[in-house]
Amino acid sequence: MKKILIYIILAISVVGFTACEDKLFQSPITDKSADNFFQTEVEIESAVNGVYATLQSFNLYGVYIPIIGEIPSDNTFDEVPANDGGRYGQLDEFTTVTENPGITNLWRDSYRGIQRANTVLNRIDEIDFEEESVKNSRVGEMKFIRALLYFNLVRLYGDVPLVIEETSNPNDFFGQERTPTTGVYTRIITDLDEAITVLPENQSEAGRVTQIAAQSLLGKVHLTLGNYGEATNHLSAVKASGKHTLVAIPADIFTLETDNIEESIFAVQFESGLNGNSEGSDLFQQTAPSGTVNGAKGHSLPTVSLYNLFDQSDLRFDAFLGTTDEGIPFSKKYKEPTTDPRDGGSNYIVLRYADVLLMLAEAQNETGNTQAALENLNTVRNRAGLPNAVANNQTDIREAIALERRFELISEGHRWFDLLRTNQAIPVMNAWFTEQGRSIRIDENDLLMPIPQSQIDTDPAITQNIGY
Amino acid sequence: MGYETQEIAIGNQSIIDVTLSVDSELLSEVLVIGYGSQSKAKINGAVAGVESEALQKYSSPNVDQQLAGRLAGVQINEVGGQPGYDAQVVIRGVGTLTAGSYPLVVVDGVPLSEGSTLSSINPNDIEKIDVLKDAASAAIYGSRASNGVLLVTTKKGSSDKPKITIDAFTGLQMRADNVDYVDAYDAAQYFTEARDWGYVSRDPANRSEADDRETRLANGASRRELRLHYLDPYLEGQPDLTNTDWLDEVFSTAPMTSITTSISGAGEKSDYYVSGGYFNQDGIAVGTSFERYTAAIRVNTQLNKFLNFGINLNPSYSKQRDTDSGDWRSDPVAVSYTSYPFFSPYLPDGSLNISEQIRENTPEDGSLQENALGYASLIKDDKNRFRTFGSTFLTVKPLEGLELKFLVGGDYRNYFYDFYDPSFLGQYRASAPDQAEAVETNIRITNILSENTLTYYKDIGDHEFDVLAGYSFQKEQGSDTQITGTDIPDDNITNIAGASSYNIDANRYTWTLLSYFGRLQYFYKSRYQLSLALRRDGSSRFGDDTKWGVFPSVSAGWILSDEPFFPQSNLINLAKIRASWGQTGNNQIGSYGSQALVTSSDYVFGGALAPGFAATTSPNSALSWENKTSVNIGVDLTFYDNFSFSANYYTTNTDGLLLEVPVPEQSGYSFSLQNIGEVQNSGIELELGASGLQLGPVQWSASANFTSNQNEVLALGEGQEEIKWSTNGGAWVTRIGGPIAEIFSYDVIGVYRTEQEIEDTPHLEGTLTGDYIVADINNDGVNDEADQVSKGAYARNFFYGFSSEFRYRNFDLSFAFNGIGGRTLYNWDLGIITETGEGFGMPTQRYFDNRYHPVNNPDGYFAQPNMGNFSSARRNTRAADIYMQDADYLRLRSLQLGYTFTPELISRFGLENLRLYVTANNLFTITEYEGFNPDASTDNILRAGYARDNFPIAKTFLIGANITLK
Repeated sequence: MKKILIYIILAISVVGFTACEDKLFQSPITDKSADNFFQTEVEIESAVNGVYATLQSFNLYGVYIPIIGEIPSDNTFDEVPANDGGRYGQLDEFTTVTENPGITNLWRDSYRGIQRANTVLNRIDEIDFEEESVKNSRVGEMKFIRALLYFNLVRLYGDVPLVIEETSNPNDFFGQERTPTTGVYTRIITDLDEAITVLPENQSEAGRVTQIAAQSLLGKVHLTLGNYGEATNHLSAVKASGKHTLVAIPADIFTLETDNIEESIFAVQFESGLNGNSEGSDLFQQTAPSGTVNGAKGHSLPTVSLYNLFDQSDLRFDAFLGTTDEGIPFSKKYKEPTTDPRDGGSNYIVLRYADVLLMLAEAQNETGNTQAALENLNTVRNRAGLPNAVANNQTDIREAIALERRFELISEGHRWFDLLRTNQAIPVMNAWFTEQGRSIRIDENDLLMPIPQSQIDTDPAITQNIGY
Repeated sequence: MGYETQEIAIGNQSIIDVTLSVDSELLSEVLVIGYGSQSKAKINGAVAGVESEALQKYSSPNVDQQLAGRLAGVQINEVGGQPGYDAQVVIRGVGTLTAGSYPLVVVDGVPLSEGSTLSSINPNDIEKIDVLKDAASAAIYGSRASNGVLLVTTKKGSSDKPKITIDAFTGLQMRADNVDYVDAYDAAQYFTEARDWGYVSRDPANRSEADDRETRLANGASRRELRLHYLDPYLEGQPDLTNTDWLDEVFSTAPMTSITTSISGAGEKSDYYVSGGYFNQDGIAVGTSFERYTAAIRVNTQLNKFLNFGINLNPSYSKQRDTDSGDWRSDPVAVSYTSYPFFSPYLPDGSLNISEQIRENTPEDGSLQENALGYASLIKDDKNRFRTFGSTFLTVKPLEGLELKFLVGGDYRNYFYDFYDPSFLGQYRASAPDQAEAVETNIRITNILSENTLTYYKDIGDHEFDVLAGYSFQKEQGSDTQITGTDIPDDNITNIAGASSYNIDANRYTWTLLSYFGRLQYFYKSRYQLSLALRRDGSSRFGDDTKWGVFPSVSAGWILSDEPFFPQSNLINLAKIRASWGQTGNNQIGSYGSQALVTSSDYVFGGALAPGFAATTSPNSALSWENKTSVNIGVDLTFYDNFSFSANYYTTNTDGLLLEVPVPEQSGYSFSLQNIGEVQNSGIELELGASGLQLGPVQWSASANFTSNQNEVLALGEGQEEIKWSTNGGAWVTRIGGPIAEIFSYDVIGVYRTEQEIEDTPHLEGTLTGDYIVADINNDGVNDEADQVSKGAYARNFFYGFSSEFRYRNFDLSFAFNGIGGRTLYNWDLGIITETGEGFGMPTQRYFDNRYHPVNNPDGYFAQPNMGNFSSARRNTRAADIYMQDADYLRLRSLQLGYTFTPELISRFGLENLRLYVTANNLFTITEYEGFNPDASTDNILRAGYARDNFPIAKTFLIGANITLK
């Protein structure tokens, strides 16, 4: 009896031993695994959407890039520079430290977007799409977004590490040094050239990159590099295509109902009240003067001197700017949301047709074609209800264009980049600070942002910019 | 002789209730060693235990807090004092950097999931706790034992007739810290000085303090350079103005009550223990509380000659009112340091004063903080937790000395968290009405364990063998769903049902663990001892190729005093030396740590949602266990019958450290989880005990322990020399050859009083007068990172405890001290808010009395208040040494006086035993630390000592009773 019991029990134990080894292999239940993702057209499409989604990041086109293009310049100022860890205020006063959280996060999120684009580009070749043209378009869209992100990085930080492959092991990147700007620009231009050849003229979904968008960006890149001939070619092509026009009434450019209007060439899309209020942007709240709405921070408010520069008959004056009861100017381009102050529904326009015309005028002016330059400049002025410009020589036209860009593009994140491109940052800002009675003076070391301290700490192969 | 009976008894029970004669306590004290127990004389690893009576000297809902100061090598850090929170338990130093550092907690043989709260166990149901400190004793738990193992044994029935006990206490808790902010008049002075100097310092030549508001605005002043418009009456010194002490408002004296009843008994064939307990604690900060119901059921019974059956079950249900510690939106403590004394918490009609501070401070951008009492009473943050864990087993004894045990254990948790923030309460920078928010979280976790073991005991002449072989399988499945509701039109429904749009975050996971283990203990003539153990574990968390790990151990001991050549004397009764070596593992990473995960990242095209996905973690198919090898050498002595001494020297090396290595972000990732790196901990533990001493009519026993631990990083990632995190001019550096998280900061040597001084000395970029003078340590004429000096580390320290008990007739008096030395802490509150002089948050009295101001306090040594022009140099000295603090302390942890009534007196009331007592916990703490809690730190080991979430420890006064009915 005893022995039978023993044998029964031992038998049960032996059986128990062998049952469970395969249970050691568990796969994620509520997350997808990269091992078996990126394998069908549907999955690639969602990966493409994931790339676009990085543009919405607070640290990219959600808030930080629109502001970083304005706040170091004489266009806007920060009401309370110390707020939010000084991430905007330090730029305003040229006291940026290497640990500035805005600078740090912009770097990180840009590279996240670049890596996502690299991944799609790496995987998309083997996947069969129902329509070949759609596949080609996606390739072009990814290259555009990658070029756009590198364009921001290279203008803000100078030399930056160049990565165009999908990462299989992040440790491979230790020791990678910053690539000189020339190398980065070569890549940007290559990407945009290739994108132009495969992108369609029209996209069924508003907000996707089009061929014209790539042309416009390429024109801007060439203009930044001083290749005025190339710039003129590309920007003229945009104008000639007739796909975009200036909207008759300036106030209509920035409405919530028509936010992909014909003047908008490429805009990062936001929408209020969608997906648990997570598809909106914080830009309205961050740039509203303190006390006007809940949580308003007053970062990047138009300066009083710019406000006073406007001509009273300029249609854009009332359309783009307002003032609070205390006389503090604010931008009207980004609308107050009805859901939550942080859920702004206004798109952020990266490339606008008015910008294209003014860039074209600038390029033409630099190559001596003052006639065409004036024509384009005046098209923009006339739309704003202003008479033609009184300039008639290269120098005066150059200044007129620069000033017109301030009026037209205020709070759209252009002024600082304009100053850098035209080598006017140092004289203009020093004159500005003098006029404001401030003791700040800048030099060439202030033209670039510092490389984030966390990256220097992680890999000493990444060197810091001079002056930080 | 007497041993034989005891060995068999050990085989089927987890603890033995033996009346010990006082002088052989060391010899026959029985400790649980994992899958069995053993007398201390035969244990050769580093195992230590605490009995319930000693634990109960400190009254707490959590047993981990009761361990403070009791055991060498076991450090308890109460990082947050909120009711229901767990302390940090560190056994022999932290041996990991980024993997979890929780020790394994095993209750009656059932291992609980790492990090699961100990607050579900009623300390009154606990009989003893044994701690496995070195790898040799912990290796039997293999892959989860790197951080040590806590073995909790619950009570079981033992008396012949049913014994009914009632244990109850009640009392009050109050603040035990010295933090003190200034009153309204000093605050008015401070804010005004800060704003004035901020304004003037931007352009000293053309601006002066006397400029009025219009002039300042005309000069281009920003909001923070204007004076607060309502401060004039305070500056004039008008009496009887609003002068709120927010610390007084936020903290109060809070009650704590506990009552536990139990019925237990034992007969020839079975024993039982059933208990029910109720605990209720209000936190000393408003808006926090913890209420808990527990039950314990334990039955063991002998079915027949061969079969024994047992079951134990521990259900508990708790309700916790919580705050998000450190969050400016809800945590009363964090809110208090940004609340101005010029505003009172209540309106004249008695209702809460909502958003007044926000409104009044908006024009000049002061602290836009909502009413702290509003947060505490209007925000609902309830955490309801139901948990049941337990096990059932069957043991079979087919032959003499052989026993088979089949055990099935489980742990079921069902948590429900309900959060609601109404629209009529504002939040930081947003005055009421604002957006209401509701969040509901549902967590359900089921954990099943199946364990089959075989033990065999045999003695042949002078040889004894004790063999164990086992197999176990454990699986846990969890789901965690959080629903956030927004677009809430009104506050009639204070939960997610009142919302119209929702955001859902759903997570599920499964992990499994498969193990084979075995152990052989061999004793020759009882004085030569050898123990070998081996465990092989497979875990689902690791890469496909690296799921298995093997963890061996060996320990040996020699009882010198049993040797014939050992001199017989009264001096030394027992002398034993022992040594052990073993390997354990650490698998505390997420359930899918080796896989690259793709998560959701959506976009919109023209207003239509476009679902998107992207890879967010990088893969590592070779990810595997951290492996810890440790060596322990020890000696145990008893002398003069009543004294015992025990010493251990240990050194442990953890390699294959699971490290979240910061990687270059151009890879698209910021971190990558890898097995890389090596850390060494070494230290000594000393324990001294005295028991059964008679000083005249007084009986006395005492014990003391001391532990010193050092850690050193031996290797990091390939080509990596250090991991550094810089913030505010301080750095936490983990580098090869140094300790984990060594803190570096600037040495402040004074305050600049003139522009000339600044120009003449090396200074940080942007320095203004009134800012700190930083020492140029390397004399290179420049102040930069190279001038940062080491200030030690949070975890490089020694700790100790001392307790003593006196008995005189029916009285008993006991006290226990614990303390820690060598600890450095960065007090975030001081550096960023209260002593930084930014004119934003409330200053401490110490800062205000010692701030530099050229006119009002020219001898001050703290930097000058400066609000509108707070320089980058000031920002970079926020983590300077002036804010780094010594967090050493010596604390009277418990003091208890009790009186036991004589049985004759109470038997007429139907009582068999009645003891009344009064207790004081944390009666006083001697420390130089200025913040709320010298144990404060952070979960991130690489930033240990960055103390932000401060919640003060309370001191408690209680009266209680232990009653046994007839």
